[in-house]
Amino acid sequence: MNISAKEWFKSGSPWVWMNAAAVAICIIMVVGLLGLIAVRGLSHFWPAGIVQGSYTIDAQSKTVVGEIVETNEVLTKQLLEAGIKLTTDDEFSTRHLLKVGNRDIYGSDFTWALEAFFTEQTYPEMLFTAERREWGNLYGYLRSLKQDGTEIARFDGYEKSSDYIALWSELNERLERVLQIHDDILEIEKHEIGAINYELERLRLKERGLQLDNVTDSAPFEAINQQRKVLDLAYEDLQQRLIDLYTQINRDSLTAEVAGGQVVEVQLAKIVRIFRPNDMHMGQKMIHYAAKLWEFVSDDPREANTEGGIFPAIFGTVMMVLLMSLLVTPFGVIAAVYLREYAKQGFVTRLIRIAVNNLAGVPSIVYGVFGLGFFVYFLGGNIDDLFFAAAKPAPTFGTPGLMWASLTLALLTVPVVIVATEEGLSRIPRALREGSLALGATKFETLMKVVLPMASPAMMTGVILAIARAAGEVAPLMLVGVVKLAPSLPLDGNYPFIHLDQKFMHLGFHIYDVGFQSPNVEAARPLVYATALLLVLVIALLNMSAIAIRNHLREKYKALEM
Amino acid sequence: MTMEAKTHSIDISALQRQNQSLRLEDETIALTVRDLELFYGDKRALHGVSMDIPKNRVTAFIGPSGCGKSTLLRCFNRMNDLVDSCRIKGNMSLYGENIYERGIDVADLRRRVGMVFQKPNPFPKSIYENVAYGLRIQGINKKRVIDETVEWALKSAALWDEVKDRLHESALGMSGGQQQRLVIARTIAVKPEVLLLDEPASALDPISTLKIEELINELKKDFTIVIVTHNMQQAARVSDYTAFMYMGDLIEFGVTDRLFTNPEKKQTEDYITGRYG
Repeated sequence: MNISAKEWFKSGSPWVWMNAAAVAICIIMVVGLLGLIAVRGLSHFWPAGIVQGSYTIDAQSKTVVGEIVETNEVLTKQLLEAGIKLTTDDEFSTRHLLKVGNRDIYGSDFTWALEAFFTEQTYPEMLFTAERREWGNLYGYLRSLKQDGTEIARFDGYEKSSDYIALWSELNERLERVLQIHDDILEIEKHEIGAINYELERLRLKERGLQLDNVTDSAPFEAINQQRKVLDLAYEDLQQRLIDLYTQINRDSLTAEVAGGQVVEVQLAKIVRIFRPNDMHMGQKMIHYAAKLWEFVSDDPREANTEGGIFPAIFGTVMMVLLMSLLVTPFGVIAAVYLREYAKQGFVTRLIRIAVNNLAGVPSIVYGVFGLGFFVYFLGGNIDDLFFAAAKPAPTFGTPGLMWASLTLALLTVPVVIVATEEGLSRIPRALREGSLALGATKFETLMKVVLPMASPAMMTGVILAIARAAGEVAPLMLVGVVKLAPSLPLDGNYPFIHLDQKFMHLGFHIYDVGFQSPNVEAARPLVYATALLLVLVIALLNMSAIAIRNHLREKYKALEM
Repeated sequence: MTMEAKTHSIDISALQRQNQSLRLEDETIALTVRDLELFYGDKRALHGVSMDIPKNRVTAFIGPSGCGKSTLLRCFNRMNDLVDSCRIKGNMSLYGENIYERGIDVADLRRRVGMVFQKPNPFPKSIYENVAYGLRIQGINKKRVIDETVEWALKSAALWDEVKDRLHESALGMSGGQQQRLVIARTIAVKPEVLLLDEPASALDPISTLKIEELINELKKDFTIVIVTHNMQQAARVSDYTAFMYMGDLIEFGVTDRLFTNPEKKQTEDYITGRYG
């Protein structure tokens, strides 16, 4: 059968093909994007093998130990021009980026190694990785264990033997004990002492407040002093316990031989975990991987955010978005109701609508500047003068913080909520309003009982769009409350539990900070991807919950076919 | 007003009224309209209408589309207030009380003058909550009172038997005819004095229409009913008095049987014999 091009065009098939192609491209882009950040981010947590080899350059040979984190091809010509004496005829040469760790010894944890010079590559089973709280990973051979400076066990070979295994088990047991003590110390320092400090600060503010009010009666001061004494006693008690724990935790240490033959001594207290990746089978690696992933989402960051987890950032992001939604919804809905239901439709309302729509197009950094100038300095400053005079000159609300960040983002997203709500209100059938009015309801009752509930799915649409926009925003947050590292979460056990004046961490800013402000770029790069993936997941999760609520409301107030 | 629940059955003979003896002079007048003019912006939609609507009778407004019959109906409960450009001249009163007086409680007026619209407009709530809506608006919260009123209203609207087992299901799952009877139940639940029906059966099938017509016949014992219809047979079947309107003028108003059998005006005769409209 022969169909002419014209007929084929008229049949609409090219149109359908074009549409399908456009959709396919979109899907490929989204999947590709997510796939890239997922692969790059998630592979970081896999326990890579540690390679040991001999690196010979300019007739000088040295032993190199490390993880291969990246391999790429470079032009041989380029290398030759750089003065590297290569003897190969290949156009390209392979080179590896090796994570050699031991930053305290070598000065940097990464080094490039040309495949051509990197000989005798082996994966010795006895090589171990120690993740430390400072100075990054340590790679080497376990040599001895010390207790209070005295050696208690030793092993000198490089091959697997029962003696080594015994030493390794002993180390693991001792590390377990140290980690337990570390948790105890953290609990005391962060929560118990934190709570006492918080109370002491409140007492100080109360006392200062009394002084500012020129209270002459000595009774309240006396009461404060009494309370302070109690707290001081509790503090001393905790301090004593801490000293004990610190002596205990510093009891053990290990020595290890690193590449090059140097033997170093490391306090077990400085170690997070130890493992021998070359001696792990698949199951163990998977358990290790799961543990690392869990650490990533549930722990505090370490080492200038390049190690450890990002829990405070997740928490801060979610908290800020929820707070923003709580602020923006009533604000936007009330404004929309006035504009649509009460205001006389005409030139002024049209002008307001145009202004609101344009607000949505203002660059977000402008909102950040406004938030800093108006909310933080003006509002916050005045709040401090009025309510927190006792704390001055230290600002309470007169400094960037969670509340101002949420408010700034609420301002940024309020146009979206207004537009969506207005749209929803305009779609409520006139017949329903009239039905309610005809039963003797006032306009207000009609709004409250019929119109607003029916428009609630539209409001949720607005909130969903607001969340989508707010959760990904970084620029304005840098001005109004987000920090690289927040000492505590904005929600804790100290009264009043939610601390709106506190600075917080945010996933978006975390990506920027880790990726571009980090002193150790190579170590941080996989975390950029992992954090980006997590940010996408958090936004998706927030959105999906909002969508679930909306669908529930839609089902409940299914619009009439009229 | 005494109202008791009535069991429902379709009985066509009930629709044949004995109104030969009706005389407007003998009736108690519920609504009075005097020289009513209504403007939409500059356009005059009603040109000085005057009429008396008798209590506990069914009064039908007939006329071609755009003649102002719905507009007039919506004046009785001030629904036209919702239209920004609408202005009114003249006088309209409910039992001698001026409806358009300054300071009158419009919400209370609308409770006293209930209205059912062309298309069923139940709220997206349960059947029970639809009927209870008006009561809750009035601040009645006693469950016993609401329960009783809901049952009474649904029985009066001949709907009780069909829905008594699913009172708490969404009203949107009902058929069109059921929805319209639900709306009538919702309206009578607040015990209005006048019931305005704006083409209540025009969106319904013949059987539902018949049920509504019979319901109107039942309800007129307790309520003054004003119905707008463009179905002349329906007007002839259900109404005691009929007003024929044309182009914003009230052409003729009188006892239904007389108006249909022996119209005084030429325009009325032309319309009911189908010569125009």
